[in-house]
Amino acid sequence: MGTQGHRGLSAGARLRPLLRGLARLAHVAAVFAVCAIAGAGCGKRGSGKTTVVFWQFSPLATVQPVLDRFRTENPTLDVQVEQLTWQSGREKIVAAIAAGRPPDLCELGSTFLPGLVADSTLMDLTDSTADLRSALVGWDGVSYRGHAYAIPWMLGTRALYVQQDLFRRAGLDPEKPPTTWAELRDAARRITERVPDAKGFGMNAGEREILFKKFMPFAWGNGGDILDSTQTRSVINSPQNLEALRFYLSLKPYSLLERQEMHEQAFAKGRLGIIISGPWLLRTLPKTAPDAHYQAVLMPRPAPGRGKPASFAGAEVLGIFRGSKHRAEAMRLARFLVRPENTMPLFLATGNAFPAAASAAADSYFATHPMDRVFLEQLRYAVSPPLHPKWVEIEEIVNGELEQAIYGSKTPEQALAEADVRITQVLSRTP
Amino acid sequence: MRAGRPSVGLLPWGFCFALFGLFPLLYALTLSFQQMNPLRPDASHFVGLANYAHALGSPSFWHALRTTVIFVVGTLPVTLVLAYGVAALLARIRRAQSFFRAAIFFPATLSMVVIALVFKSLYAEDGLLNGWLASAGLARVHWLQDPRLALPSIMLMDIWASVGYYAILILAGRKTLPVEQLEAARLEGLTAWQVERSIVLPHLRPVILFVVLLNTIRSFQVFIEVFVLTRGGPLESTLTLVFYLYERAFYHFEMGYACAIAYLLLALVGIVLLIQRRVLRSTGAPA
Repeated sequence: MGTQGHRGLSAGARLRPLLRGLARLAHVAAVFAVCAIAGAGCGKRGSGKTTVVFWQFSPLATVQPVLDRFRTENPTLDVQVEQLTWQSGREKIVAAIAAGRPPDLCELGSTFLPGLVADSTLMDLTDSTADLRSALVGWDGVSYRGHAYAIPWMLGTRALYVQQDLFRRAGLDPEKPPTTWAELRDAARRITERVPDAKGFGMNAGEREILFKKFMPFAWGNGGDILDSTQTRSVINSPQNLEALRFYLSLKPYSLLERQEMHEQAFAKGRLGIIISGPWLLRTLPKTAPDAHYQAVLMPRPAPGRGKPASFAGAEVLGIFRGSKHRAEAMRLARFLVRPENTMPLFLATGNAFPAAASAAADSYFATHPMDRVFLEQLRYAVSPPLHPKWVEIEEIVNGELEQAIYGSKTPEQALAEADVRITQVLSRTP
Repeated sequence: MRAGRPSVGLLPWGFCFALFGLFPLLYALTLSFQQMNPLRPDASHFVGLANYAHALGSPSFWHALRTTVIFVVGTLPVTLVLAYGVAALLARIRRAQSFFRAAIFFPATLSMVVIALVFKSLYAEDGLLNGWLASAGLARVHWLQDPRLALPSIMLMDIWASVGYYAILILAGRKTLPVEQLEAARLEGLTAWQVERSIVLPHLRPVILFVVLLNTIRSFQVFIEVFVLTRGGPLESTLTLVFYLYERAFYHFEMGYACAIAYLLLALVGIVLLIQRRVLRSTGAPA
């Protein structure tokens, strides 16, 4: 019945409700648009304060007290903080930049920086941070050709973890961790051979993206590198790198080939003798393996008196995008955040990375926590990957060739030679 | 009671579809003809078919396509056969029907990320599967670290995750079987296998076609499993087309190229679906 009545209406009458619906929809959309513009357009809220949008990766409960102090110290500024995750933060930042609405200040992982520098997305902070040079460490990881594109905030590195219970069972002295490559291999071999169902060393496999972080410390410690000091030439096919790769692969028969998290689990269960890991393990092991005996020590050097105990240096840095709305205010917040009294609480809460503030090393905490002190010492020998605009491609090549060498599809010589050819091709390509 | 005005009722859906479906689809199409870096959207420029040519000339693209096809070919028939078998079993169960149906359907209610994380633990070096192997005196298997096993391991997980969903769809089809025909067949003394072949299977063809099409589309889009479990490794043995696309878009910032790959995938899926429809039609299924 209703449909018959409907059919009897004129076209205009039929369209009228539709138009009324559309008008209502447009009205709602307009209200949303106005709200959005009012809320985000000038960054000033009803109180007249300028709001700095800050994206970062730490739990909000950890960073909030620090930001509260900033608000007290800067009554004209407010901070709108958002927590990103390491799983999807990268995509979110890229999407925000693409949409032309990046945050004012953003925490960035050091491995994410090269892509942003390559595309001139980040502000050049060289002049505005000149006075911070001596107060902070880790500038290598944020600088390209003498220009700083971010401010070091928290620094991370990896050291060697030794499972002392397994050392004891393998007849090794648990108080004498390996300090050289030969000692490392010998300890790994003895654990594998003497302890049933245990492996000596954790060699990363099945996660190509982190292989260079695990291998390059051996190469760096041996005087090798990926690019030369001018960052214009590949030096990956060097005798130092080849020696390091041959040594690294010689650990394979005594290694558990697994992902990092599995290494850490096996280490906690007393089934893996030596692993390379970060300070986060110091926080988790007391919970996952309260009875385990372990030690964090410096990475081994190539031989007694030769090379250095190098490691990978990662950093969480603060960057300001060219598209940021409140650059000056973001800089004020960044300068506040990197102060040692503000980074120490973050370190104590998460324990994953150490303050970039040089004076934080003198904090009384480190006097009573010797294993954390090892990581501070390790940071002195830590090397950052080059902040090269084509680093993403170079890293992919290095990881891919290393993976082939680890899986035996290429010899160390073939892998490094192929990496050299491919990196040279990438470097010779105009941007 | 007056009938509603369908055009007005559809507005919210139409608006959402246009905003979140149609617009991104068309925008991605225009991007596929551009060199577009999301970090420098202002520097985007038209490159014609260069992104498509780049993809078709790239060994990585063909490798990812090959991996994807292996995944589809490996999972589709197994999932279908298992789902069909499970549905047949469920139809015969007389006691605790609801429990078994819910149990079979349970994986479909879980997020693929959750499933992948669970399987990550199962496949671990000291995970449950290796524990069973060890207790049986067998050597541990590097499920996700061995380039020969990583893809089959992911396929196995995918089959486990999707069988229940498709089984319930087929079971719903079985509920509409013509009772008279089945009764007549029984009186004529046909065996269960003969009944299955001559009555049940032809009747279920539309459902089976639907399951095949749905599973084909889903399998070509395999991403979360790879993202969580292997990230394309080891030795690129699990590098599927959508994961390759993701890497190009978000790690290399080649958004135009990634969109071209997405459209090539769309075309491929379209062709495969057409072929499947033709084949299933020619065997008598209405489509």
